Amino acid sequence: MSPTGIESSRMNRKKGDKGFESPRPYKLTHQVVCINNINFQRKSVVGFVELTIFPTVANLNRIKLNSKQCRIYRVRINDLEAAFIYNDPTLEVCHNESKQRNLNYFSNAYAAAVSAVDPDAGNGELCIKVPSELWKHVDELKVLKIHINFSLDQPKGGLHFVVPSVEGSMAERGAHVFSCGYQNSTRFWFPCVDSYSELCTWKLEFTVDAAMVAVSNGDLVETVYTHDMRKKTFHYMLTIPTAASNISLAIGPFEVLVDPYMHEVTHFCLPQLLPLLKHTTSYLHEVFEFYEEILTCRYPYSCFKTVFIDEAYVEVAAYASMSIFSTNLLHSAMIIDETPLTRRCLAQALAQQFFGCFISRMSWSDEWVLKGISGYIYGLWMKKTFGVNEYRHWIKEELDKIVAYELKTGGVLLHPIFGGGKEKDNPASHLHFSIKHPHTLSWEYYTMFQCKAHLVMRLIENRISMEFMLQVFNKLLSLASTASSQKFQSHMWSQMLVSTYGFLKSISNVSGKDIQPLIKQWVDQSGVVKFYGSFAFNRKRNVLELEIKQDYTSPGTQKYVGPLKVTVQELDGSFNHTLQIEENSLKHDIPCHSKSRRNKKKKIPLMNGEEVDMDLSAMDADSPLLWIRIDPDMSVLRKVEFEQADFMWQYELRYERDVVAQQESILALEKFPTPASRLALTDILEQEQCFYRVRMSACFCLAKIANSMVSTWTGPPAMKSLFTRMFCCKTCPNIVKTNNFMSFQSYFLQKTMPVAMALLRDVHNLCPKEVLSFILDLIKYNDNRKNKFSDNYYRAEMIDALANSVTPAVSVNNEVRTLDNLNPDVRLILEEITRFLNMEKLLPSYRHTITVSCLRAIRVLQKNGHVPSDCSLFKSYAEYGHFVDIRIAALEAVVDYTKVDRSYEELQWLLNMIQTDPVPYVRHKILNMLTKNPPFTKNMDSPLCNEALVDQLWKLMNSGTAHDWRLRCGAVDLYFTLFGLSRPSCLPLPELGLVLNLKEKKAVLNPTIIPEAGPANQESASNPGCHAQLAGFQNPFASSQDEEEVDMDTVHDSQAFISHHLNMLERPSTPGLCKYRPSSSRSSLMPQHSLGSDIIPTTKPQWTMELSRKGIGKEQPMEMSMHSMGAVPLSVFAKESTSSRHSEHHHHHHHEHKKKKKKHKHKHKHKHKHDSKDKDKEPFTFSSPASGRSVRSPSLSD
Amino acid sequence: MADTAAGPGGSGTRSGSKQSTNPADNYHLARRRTLQVVVSSLLTEAGFESAEKASVETLTEMLQSYISEIGRSAKSYCEHTARTQPTLSDIVVTLVEMGFNVDTLPAYAKRSQRMVITAPPVTNQPVTPKALTAGQNRPHPPHIPSHFPEFPDPHTYIKTPTYREPVSDYQVLREKAASQRRDVERALTRFMAKTGETQSLFKDDVSTFPLIAARPFTIPYLTALLPSELEIQQMEETDSSEQDEQTDTENIALHISTGDPGTEKENASVLQQNSLSGSRNGEESIIDNPYLRPVKKPKIRRKK
Repeated sequence: MSPTGIESSRMNRKKGDKGFESPRPYKLTHQVVCINNINFQRKSVVGFVELTIFPTVANLNRIKLNSKQCRIYRVRINDLEAAFIYNDPTLEVCHNESKQRNLNYFSNAYAAAVSAVDPDAGNGELCIKVPSELWKHVDELKVLKIHINFSLDQPKGGLHFVVPSVEGSMAERGAHVFSCGYQNSTRFWFPCVDSYSELCTWKLEFTVDAAMVAVSNGDLVETVYTHDMRKKTFHYMLTIPTAASNISLAIGPFEVLVDPYMHEVTHFCLPQLLPLLKHTTSYLHEVFEFYEEILTCRYPYSCFKTVFIDEAYVEVAAYASMSIFSTNLLHSAMIIDETPLTRRCLAQALAQQFFGCFISRMSWSDEWVLKGISGYIYGLWMKKTFGVNEYRHWIKEELDKIVAYELKTGGVLLHPIFGGGKEKDNPASHLHFSIKHPHTLSWEYYTMFQCKAHLVMRLIENRISMEFMLQVFNKLLSLASTASSQKFQSHMWSQMLVSTYGFLKSISNVSGKDIQPLIKQWVDQSGVVKFYGSFAFNRKRNVLELEIKQDYTSPGTQKYVGPLKVTVQELDGSFNHTLQIEENSLKHDIPCHSKSRRNKKKKIPLMNGEEVDMDLSAMDADSPLLWIRIDPDMSVLRKVEFEQADFMWQYELRYERDVVAQQESILALEKFPTPASRLALTDILEQEQCFYRVRMSACFCLAKIANSMVSTWTGPPAMKSLFTRMFCCKTCPNIVKTNNFMSFQSYFLQKTMPVAMALLRDVHNLCPKEVLSFILDLIKYNDNRKNKFSDNYYRAEMIDALANSVTPAVSVNNEVRTLDNLNPDVRLILEEITRFLNMEKLLPSYRHTITVSCLRAIRVLQKNGHVPSDCSLFKSYAEYGHFVDIRIAALEAVVDYTKVDRSYEELQWLLNMIQTDPVPYVRHKILNMLTKNPPFTKNMDSPLCNEALVDQLWKLMNSGTAHDWRLRCGAVDLYFTLFGLSRPSCLPLPELGLVLNLKEKKAVLNPTIIPEAGPANQESASNPGCHAQLAGFQNPFASSQDEEEVDMDTVHDSQAFISHHLNMLERPSTPGLCKYRPSSSRSSLMPQHSLGSDIIPTTKPQWTMELSRKGIGKEQPMEMSMHSMGAVPLSVFAKESTSSRHSEHHHHHHHEHKKKKKKHKHKHKHKHKHDSKDKDKEPFTFSSPASGRSVRSPSLSD
Repeated sequence: MADTAAGPGGSGTRSGSKQSTNPADNYHLARRRTLQVVVSSLLTEAGFESAEKASVETLTEMLQSYISEIGRSAKSYCEHTARTQPTLSDIVVTLVEMGFNVDTLPAYAKRSQRMVITAPPVTNQPVTPKALTAGQNRPHPPHIPSHFPEFPDPHTYIKTPTYREPVSDYQVLREKAASQRRDVERALTRFMAKTGETQSLFKDDVSTFPLIAARPFTIPYLTALLPSELEIQQMEETDSSEQDEQTDTENIALHISTGDPGTEKENASVLQQNSLSGSRNGEESIIDNPYLRPVKKPKIRRKK
């Protein structure tokens, strides 16, 4: 251990890290939550909370708590009425929103709003005044009891009601309610200190209908009927100090199942699903045993409850001593595919019970420790349960994901430190949101954050060994459990909070190793490493000259310095070398152990000790190298692009036993479409011992290679004979065997191969007829009668295969797609899809997998022009009331339709659904899909991009999504994807091109119109962004110009034109004071203009006339010139700023001048004018230049 | 007339039936002629010189009936005593039964003026025609006494089924099963589509690819998650045949918690948590789970 490392880290971290210092002037010890009425009909909740707090400062006169949505009736402190103020700045983030439509502004404002109520900063929405009678009491630091009566009416977040609209009582209808949310969201359903660091003991009481069960945290002490015997009250006690954010609730007519192995574990599900629940949870005890064994620690709570509910917010949500799961995880014994997924969810939930629920965090910046540890032990469980191959494959997958995300967005920072609060230090300036708070994070970022956290834990394990790692966890847990049994007065509870510092300290104590460099690299700093490797073999010296370059300048990358393992497989065996990656050393010489060709006859030893015979004829005669791997253990968060010859990749694929290496070589072989690659892949496909996922990806690679080799390919289509041999009858090779999925490996292969085969293309780039009929035969002869498993996933994949076989329709001059000109192959495909989709109505498959695939396939047919593009079918499947998987698939199709057909109507429909759909997950998912597959992006010109849309989205993220952090961040993501960080390009430019900076006494270009405002953002993108934006301006102009058929020569060519304008603008009498201004009023009146739409308003000719006239005559009446201004402003701006800096400069000058002189006068004049126009209800109103608002902006009407 | 008609060529007489040509028929006719002779001699004996043909016929008929009745009755008596051959006593009893004084019989037989009638010509006993002799009559199996009637002709019970060669070709079978299923599915879905609301992929054509309209469910997860009846049935079938793969743990889990899946389901939904938990407690007395404990009655002091 190097003391300096720890020392420096201490400097970096917050002072409070050593021991926990509460940001609040009081300490919470106990909280009572009592909900005595829940009305499912009205979706309302009535109850009270009572917080027991000890002041820690003498002059405590205000107590801040968190509460959202709740209506607070009354607050009493020690039975004395207390005044309170409720203020939630996050409800509407920007109040005067119309001026600033750029995301930078919003993100800052949003971060400020969240921070203003952040419990970790001692803030809260609810501010209670301590009655003066109690001041003396407070000064003695005596206990205070705050009693708050509250109710919730139709909560939009936090608590989710599911009330099916059928006959019967609420219990018979399966109505239920549960708490949900992202991060600390408990404040949505009762007033509390909604922080992970404020622990207290709990008493929870819920009075519910006698037919219902209320499941909550802690031990169920008793259940008591009310006096009328129609309701019962569930009394829970949670004696382990727990943060409010880990409190949860689920009420419904649940079926109760006591776990047969562990009687203290109880499972709950909705009516009729008990058989599924039994099967699904029958495995859970093994997970328990595993965690308890590796952590050498008993499960911390005295009981555990799993609740499976409908319309889940997330699939898995862990709370103290209970977890809430999506009911869609339940499955019967016949389902193969869902089983491992569900078990993984159960294991994840349980891992979070230890780290996340029992052990909580000190602050947001310590979140990575909890997510990291829970993700890491979950990984260990995976390794034990599904095997090393699956584990390594998963690690590789996660690594690829985080690498791709970081390279795309510019980095994920695990441990953000916010020193001094200077904006310069903002560690995440590359992002469009603040990472200071969990609530401002993009959901995708958060997912990636968790991913990186557990990968980093694995890196730490690599460094200090698993044994020490588990000792550290055990230490954390035992400290916490000692603390948990103590009384509050012992001040031990903070031991249950983990901090980055504490965690690192116990690592250093336990292992004695200094992991500071590792932490600095991966935790305190964002970015991943990008290696480029190539090599040369020096025959004379018998040395491998390896060159490893790094790219650490692109966004999301960082420089790596330190050890790097390289594994070289030579003829004589496999050898590990550890290279030291240093600042300037690129080349590394690695001596080889074997001479080439010496040991021709000998078996070749592999890394795992196995000795194999290889056909060495393919290799380079001069070199003993079979293959080389860089960082084979994935001990760096990196992306490696390594160059080696195709035969080396082929050897690696065949003989390297590590699945990650096999996967990498498959990926690399895509670039080598040769018969040798084909053979290597086919051999892997046939090899039963090979990991099934590798074989599956080999299928797809083989398809790609076959397509690249299409002209030279011999024999039947790739994989066909292989499939026939493996899965078809011996006597009649065209008929597939009756299904028997007992061997899961071959099941997965059987599912995948046709899907990959369907990607084959012939010389005409069509799917070969042979393949299509082969797939159709598979469907035809599919026979599941003798199978003990359901074939729903298999059939779904067959439909996916059909969809994969579809190629774009050959269409002659855009003829309308009708049934008559339907391609015969497509007709066959449609026939199958129709039958499958219809059969689903009669015999629905598990999770409607087949419907989902059918919907996707139909969209593919539409997109390829075989079927008329139409989304009414999808819209009907997207309605509330369909199974969620179907809805998502249908919505995905609608999103895609919106993009391809540029349908404004559908976009509106989607946006409407985002606001009104009853299921939070669906709303989130729509935003997510729109972000992933946006109808247009910031650099694109689209008729959809208009001011109304900007308004709508702005409203959505500004105030429409205040009840759901995840949703709001999703809206922010979408806004960012569509419009970028700066002011959306489709918006009219703000009225004032120049702003007078009174402080500095000079005029500057209005910051809202500077493209990609702010130096902090998008270092490299600033210029292209600017151009693209301008291009966006130009285009609509050009198109409208074409439409108008006006002789625009003079307009176009136009220094002259511009100066014309400028001259005109300078005229004091011209109302178009600023040349930017009129565009706002005009184009908001006439959005078609800025849209470049085909629709020409009827009044247009008149303007164009004026326009041309104006080009000539200076002496225009005021009204006239105004009109003309409306029609051209875009051109003016575009020309001006793209063509000449000079003119821009010129401009400013004019402005400045003009502004200074005429400001007052104009202001006055326009105000006046404005009023009068309003009165007249003249459509051509415009706002005062000073107001900086567009007239039509909704904010004005608000 | 019957006499003349008795010839082999006489076909027209009795409603054209073939009976006249039958040897059995000849036999019966010969007997009847004997009876007529008997009646005539009895009439002569009684002093008649002539008689109308019709009356002779009638009397013949009566005599025949009488004798038949004696025979039938005697047979009954004989069978009643489990014999096949009538004995004298059977006849006696019969005659007594028919109201005939048996004692007068010997005297009557010995009367002086009786005429002796020659025995009817021995006609060959009509052999029952062997219309179809399909093989040997089966002899009685040992447990059937030999006096029982013989088996009927083999053709009446032997069956020689004729059918086409069964299709055992795997390919054809699979082919058939596949197309059958496809046809059924197609027909069924088309029917459903015809009778209900549909959606179409083509605006101009609604019938070629009719899609049954999507109808939202009130509780969508039930249909999505619960296995369909078909699948359950299938599972039971396959389960009974091959249970090898099912892990032990799962079995145990099922056994322990099965208890009463049916009743449990019903109960739980009908808000009888406590009674349910009571019954479960009885079963698994070891389990102490707070959710299984009975709900307490409200105490007076509790006021929440």
